[in-house]
Amino acid sequence: MATTAGHAPADQGHATPEQPHHMKPALMGMLLFIGSEVMLFASLFTAYFFIRYGVANETWPPLKQDGEPFELPVVLTGVNTLILVSSSFTLWWGEKRLAAGDNKGLIRGLWVTILMGATFLLIQLNEYAHLGFTPQDRAFSGAFYTLTGFHGAHVLVGLIVLSLCLRRAYQRDFSATYHTPLTAGSYYWHFVDIVWVLLFFLVYVI
Amino acid sequence: MLFAFLLLFLLRALFGFEPLYDGAVYGGVAGLIGAIGFLWGIGCFDFWLGWAKGADISEEDHSFHGVSNWKQYFRVNTDHKVIGLQYLGATLFFMLWGGLMALLIRTELAAPGQQFADGETYNGFLSMHATLMIFVFAVPVFGGIANYVLPIMLGAKDMAFPRLNALSFWFLPVAGFMFLASMFTGMFGAAWTAYPPLASQGTMGQTLFELGIQFAGASSIATAINFLATIVTMRAPGMTIWRMPILAWATGVTSVLAVFATPFIAGSQFLTMFDRIMGTHFFVPDQGGDVIMYQHIFWFYSHPAVYIMLLPGFGIISEIIATFARKPLFGYRAMAFSLVAIAVLGFGVWAHHMFVSGMAAWLRVPMMVTTIIIAVPTGVKMWSWLATLWQGRIHMKTPMLWAMGFLFTFLLGGLSGVFLGIVPADIQMSDTYFVTAHLHYVLYGGTVFTVFAGLYYWFPKMTGKMYNERLGQWHFWLTFAATQLTFFPMHWQGLQGMPRRVSDYDPRFETVNSIETVGSYMLGIATIIFFYNIITSWKSGPKAPWNPWRGKTLEWMVSSPPPLFNFDVEPQVVGGPYQYGIPDARHAVVFAPEEFGGELTEDTRYPVLVVANETLTSQTLIDEIRSRDSEGLWSFQLVAPVGDGDRSTTERRLATALAILAESGVSATGRVAEGDMVSVATEAAAEVAPQELVIATLPLAQSRWMQTDSVDKVRKATGVAMSHVIVPPNDARALLATAALPLVMVVATEAVGAEALATAVRTRADAQPARFTVVTPLDLPEPRWGAEANELRRAAGEAMTATINALVNTGVAVDGEVMDDGADVALPLAIDAYRPSVIIVAGINGEAAGLRAAAEAAAGETPVESVNLGAAAGA
Repeated sequence: MATTAGHAPADQGHATPEQPHHMKPALMGMLLFIGSEVMLFASLFTAYFFIRYGVANETWPPLKQDGEPFELPVVLTGVNTLILVSSSFTLWWGEKRLAAGDNKGLIRGLWVTILMGATFLLIQLNEYAHLGFTPQDRAFSGAFYTLTGFHGAHVLVGLIVLSLCLRRAYQRDFSATYHTPLTAGSYYWHFVDIVWVLLFFLVYVI
Repeated sequence: MLFAFLLLFLLRALFGFEPLYDGAVYGGVAGLIGAIGFLWGIGCFDFWLGWAKGADISEEDHSFHGVSNWKQYFRVNTDHKVIGLQYLGATLFFMLWGGLMALLIRTELAAPGQQFADGETYNGFLSMHATLMIFVFAVPVFGGIANYVLPIMLGAKDMAFPRLNALSFWFLPVAGFMFLASMFTGMFGAAWTAYPPLASQGTMGQTLFELGIQFAGASSIATAINFLATIVTMRAPGMTIWRMPILAWATGVTSVLAVFATPFIAGSQFLTMFDRIMGTHFFVPDQGGDVIMYQHIFWFYSHPAVYIMLLPGFGIISEIIATFARKPLFGYRAMAFSLVAIAVLGFGVWAHHMFVSGMAAWLRVPMMVTTIIIAVPTGVKMWSWLATLWQGRIHMKTPMLWAMGFLFTFLLGGLSGVFLGIVPADIQMSDTYFVTAHLHYVLYGGTVFTVFAGLYYWFPKMTGKMYNERLGQWHFWLTFAATQLTFFPMHWQGLQGMPRRVSDYDPRFETVNSIETVGSYMLGIATIIFFYNIITSWKSGPKAPWNPWRGKTLEWMVSSPPPLFNFDVEPQVVGGPYQYGIPDARHAVVFAPEEFGGELTEDTRYPVLVVANETLTSQTLIDEIRSRDSEGLWSFQLVAPVGDGDRSTTERRLATALAILAESGVSATGRVAEGDMVSVATEAAAEVAPQELVIATLPLAQSRWMQTDSVDKVRKATGVAMSHVIVPPNDARALLATAALPLVMVVATEAVGAEALATAVRTRADAQPARFTVVTPLDLPEPRWGAEANELRRAAGEAMTATINALVNTGVAVDGEVMDDGADVALPLAIDAYRPSVIIVAGINGEAAGLRAAAEAAAGETPVESVNLGAAAGA
């Protein structure tokens, strides 16, 4: 077949090397999605800070409708924070095992991560049950439940994504060279963790 | 669904909500589940569900790709071209509904007092109008155009995530129908801005609004992510970011805005929704809530959203202006950077919507400053468009008309925006019709006009059919006039203090309001023309060529409509996208497999009409034609009107010009036409329907066409894009230095000045186009500086001038020289200098013999002929 300068012959098409400067579209898509998620949380944090600082003549923590101040279980949640943050490291460890070609290690890492994430969610739900105020209390409680609730929903999504990855890992679908869905899922999980650390400090601690 | 209701009931019972049954809540849940069920049912999630189930699915499964009949446009499809058309269909459908609402609003406002809608209903109409127009027309419609065009422009086979693309499209009808459904549940009446506490009250419709926004927002974010991934990772080889068409820049920048700003409106609507259905107190001040907070969050999205609705339009206009002005886009990089600058600044201006809201006062001045600074990058764009038009060869086809309408309308909108950006002025004009005028000028100019420009521009590419140009122009002029009629008086109304969003008004505004209502009905009629045009043209319009506008970007290098995967072989980009008028410049090389003929180039040549007479053989005109020829596939039709001149003179000039063009490889034909220039040019233009009309004349002082204003008359009569080439008189008469024509050297002494010589040369020129040079060797007496010699020189010079004038005025390309030597000295020098292809010795009777001997001695290989002009010639 005749070829012309500047034109790769069609029969070499399948052997086109990956262009190194091109990022994988899926990972880029995930990063952009995370970017928009960051902005979603930013809008909720904006609401929270307006309620916290924008309204005059309020003590902090503000008072509930029954006149008592809002109290948040900082220590228990701190422990819970540690659990969630460690789960990021266990996931990282799993990915490292996979990079070394150890699929079993990946499965172990995923299991531990998922279990820790689930523990975090359960402790959060337990906390909801014992907080002593509902979203319908004052504006602060609404902001608190919205922020933590949105985060909890994200943890749930992250758990679902990681579970799907786990299933794939059992099918030996991932290898040291191909692991795009897993990487995308782990980006998401790290994002969820980082948001929580921020949330913990901004809402619980200060 | 039943299960969900049960769950909801139990949950509400569990947490002690009162009352247990609340229509808005149940309706909201029903809407949400219905929407997801719909998306699931039509198969949006099939692939991912398959993946989740671990089924054996193939990435290369294209079963959802492409359409074979029109019904498939209503199904899930992963082909970006189909999705683009689905987007356009859906958004135009919602535009019709939004337009209907606008007509209802204008009908109610036609006279003071209540016509047919009470305040509540009126609020519903205006909220529905704005919501439909903004969230399911203005924002996503560019997604439709870019979905179709952008992957092809970048040289990609599809978007980066085709299945996500399908999903993000199908979010859109969900959102739109949620808005529309609210008409049956009590319309939402808090306008598109949905400020609490108004939005915290109201009917079920308000909840549907909040849900609909979530779907529209999700659609917007998903599409934006898709565009960005496509632009970053899917560009063809050689397509550096500085070779991308400006539309790609605009879409990329817009997508960044959409990804990072849209979550804010999602957040704001979540909060109002929670206030409405969960009983939170975000916007209840006595419970510690904050109403201003909503406005901050809302405008942090909704101001960038204005740019989401404008920037892609800017991109479209840049494409169209460069193409139809046949010039490289002025300031390409400035255009790209100004887009980025607008987007970056756009994040820092949101509170200018809130100058009168009671927000923190210190925010006002910074927001005013950033707002006004945005006029700078926008001005850069405006001037760049104007500079692109400057001295371009403008083709006033329908897309270009819309682009011009955009420049005018958007300029007015932008200027009133500067007024509103200034705090004291804004405090005066806030919530008056001045704001209504401003935003409609901006959105009509920046969105409606650009969308129509883009639709007409790419209609041939999308459908493979040409639209009706006459109807398109009618559509434009009617819309343009009606836009000004409807919205311009609103400036005055606003300054006089008429508040917006109110269904009644002071009777002194009656006249303006009825004028505006008439204007809005005209807009409705124009829209009917548009739909009639596109529907009938799509069904039975003439077949569109690949590249009807002679565009340079990649989408014009594939067929109309493009093949299923756009390119059979990856295209290779080799240059910038707007190199109009630059000889031999190419944007890209597109290849097809051998069986389709290798390189994909078109062979249809489009006609360019050239009208000239005295200037036909000038270097200036020939160069103009050659430069056009190197730029695209044109066939040149030369028409030489005889006027009251001599026909054979014109024929000679035409023959010379055609011979030169043929030698340059230019495809050109020509004819001499009887009659005056205006009628000849007009008839020829009607006959060949040229892409461009080139008229060449001498400067005003020498040109009879110019003196009778014929050039302008033709411009008006034909309406074709026209170039006027002014040829310097010397150039029109000068002998062309070209190898195209044989050079005939005429050697004569006594015969010079005689009419017989001129006749002989003309006869020769009629037989075969040639250039002539007349040489007179002058055997001067000694001393050569003497009076006698000088007298001889003068006489010979006069005779030579007379001959040359006689010949040039009858269309022969000729010059001449008197040489200060006898034939045996002069002729070898002359032959060496001119290198003629033939030498003709012209003499009167016996006198020629000596000349001929000298010529033959000097000629070498060159043939020498003799002409005997006869005894009579000497008299």
